[in-house]
Amino acid sequence: MTVLNVEGLSKSYGALQALDDISLHVERGEVLALLGPTGAGKTSTLMSIAGLTDQQAGRIEIAGQEVSRSDPRLRDVAIVFEGFNLLPTLNAYDNIAMPLRSPAYRVDDGVVDERVRKAAGDLKIDHLLERHVDQLSGGERQRVAIARALVRDPQIYLLDEPLSALDLKLRESLRAELGNLQREKSATILYATHDYHGAAAIADRIALIEGGRILQIGTLDELIAHPNHVSVGKLIGSPAMALFEGTVSGSQLAIDGYDFTIACPSGFSPGRIRIGWWPEDIEISKQKLDGYQQAEIYATDFRGVDRTLQIRFGGHGLRKVVPLDFDLVEGDQCWFALPEKQAFHFDYETGETIKNDTGQA
Amino acid sequence: MILKRNSPFLIPAIVLGIYMIYSLGPIFWLVLSSLKSRQDLFTLPPKLFFTPDLSGYEAVFGIGAAKDSAAAIGLVQSLYNSIIVSIAGTALATILGTLAGYACSRFRFVGRDDFMFFALSTRMIPPTAVLVFYHVMFAKMGLSDTVSGLIIVTTFINLGLATWIMKGFFDGVPTAVESIAKVNGYSRFYAFRKFVLPMVRGGIAATAGFCFIFAWNEFAFSSILSTTKAKTLPVRLSSAMGSTGIEWTQICAAGVVLIVPVAIFFYLIRRHILMGMTFGVLGKAGH
Repeated sequence: MTVLNVEGLSKSYGALQALDDISLHVERGEVLALLGPTGAGKTSTLMSIAGLTDQQAGRIEIAGQEVSRSDPRLRDVAIVFEGFNLLPTLNAYDNIAMPLRSPAYRVDDGVVDERVRKAAGDLKIDHLLERHVDQLSGGERQRVAIARALVRDPQIYLLDEPLSALDLKLRESLRAELGNLQREKSATILYATHDYHGAAAIADRIALIEGGRILQIGTLDELIAHPNHVSVGKLIGSPAMALFEGTVSGSQLAIDGYDFTIACPSGFSPGRIRIGWWPEDIEISKQKLDGYQQAEIYATDFRGVDRTLQIRFGGHGLRKVVPLDFDLVEGDQCWFALPEKQAFHFDYETGETIKNDTGQA
Repeated sequence: MILKRNSPFLIPAIVLGIYMIYSLGPIFWLVLSSLKSRQDLFTLPPKLFFTPDLSGYEAVFGIGAAKDSAAAIGLVQSLYNSIIVSIAGTALATILGTLAGYACSRFRFVGRDDFMFFALSTRMIPPTAVLVFYHVMFAKMGLSDTVSGLIIVTTFINLGLATWIMKGFFDGVPTAVESIAKVNGYSRFYAFRKFVLPMVRGGIAATAGFCFIFAWNEFAFSSILSTTKAKTLPVRLSSAMGSTGIEWTQICAAGVVLIVPVAIFFYLIRRHILMGMTFGVLGKAGH
């Protein structure tokens, strides 16, 4: 069953088009991540769905009811903001209990107490309930903010970068707890984030947003297999897609700044083009092999269980994750290959994926 | 605490000591003078130790030996008027200023900036420029020489200030407070009353404090709009000075009477005032 259905949502702030024809849906029990860079329109989308800002156009349905112009109180959503937004005049307990004491969602005091303690226990803050907000750390405050949302069972949870303000360790820990709680409650979540790892870890599907427009929606596998825009390559993956510019000439494609060409699929028009490879598809070797090109390693990032190499060639750079025993270091030479069949071709002007004459991207 | 010669607090302590003498010295002198007899008052060098003489206070309140004296100022009615006018005017200006300040802080409406300028302009215009207008208008409305008339004018002259101060405090409260409340089932008014107002209670206290000072000391309008029964304390004092010459002991006693209510008021709200003053420094609402 579709819990949230958004069609053609548009909003502008003066001359700035914040949202441009946003359409998406979230099924019951599903987590949809809204992944995009800062200023992409994630918060505006969530605010419009919650009824906290008016959209200029579009239709919003929650649990089958149109709520496009409804008061926020009638939409039955819960929201968690990036900035915690706890009420400084209340202690942790009263902040969490706040929704259950409202005129719209009021319940008996006994039920309030039971639910507050359950939510606090789930988030391991039951020992902090009597503390004042300014006596809590950043992580504790965000747990209180999440508990305030979890204390009810709304149709959908809107999470607006809920973990961005936390340090990496705390973020990963809280993300895992959030995932467990989601599975336990079968909660429906629209999760706005700029963090690819966060989206990949918790989401069933990912909606990529940039410049107020949805670029693509799909599972992570679908997005990796069939990116429909060059920005998808920039937003997905860690490292992201290695992108180059080049020129199509007949059946060959020459990459700018380097003296080799690769075969170009049939049906491509001559002219400028963007081309990309997922780092996992790029071959790398310590020895020179047939068809491999020489490059230099200019940086390595130790990631605990593996390493990321930053490779430079012909004025270009790309990043590739290798095992720890791949023991090249900064300044070493290496050889790499860009497999023609794994290449993704994008229109130079629009950034959209170019399909060849077989219809394959 | 005894400060050593090389203590880093020595110089600040000296500066604060000088400032304390500068600000509290005149009040201390006023209180001493109000308790002196006429002879002790003008003795040189001034006496710090003397037999207290309450004749000044008796004359001010028209009690004791001064009960039937023509020289008695008799401030009881004026004190009562001042208290009623100041408290009611302060309460009304603070309540209305709080509502107006919230509206100007949170809502975009046509003429908002013009309204804010108009509110401020009510403090810019010298009272003498509009006194005649007020006098004529109040006379026609039957409000001359009435406490209710003075409450209205006191409210009006403080409303602009209260609106400006409260708008500043509401600007410091994140709009997310109302957003959170609305999503969680509260109306805007409920959110304002239950969550926003407690966050600015220090600001409300500070606003009330300023309004009370202006209301308590207001002289220009009161002197024109009250002639006999509605006279406030400052007006009554000024007229008392001219009738039997300058009775300094009585004037000092009356000065103390004038100060005491303000001191009591500020003592009662001192914690909230401090909260209000630190609002901007802390970058969040006091709590």
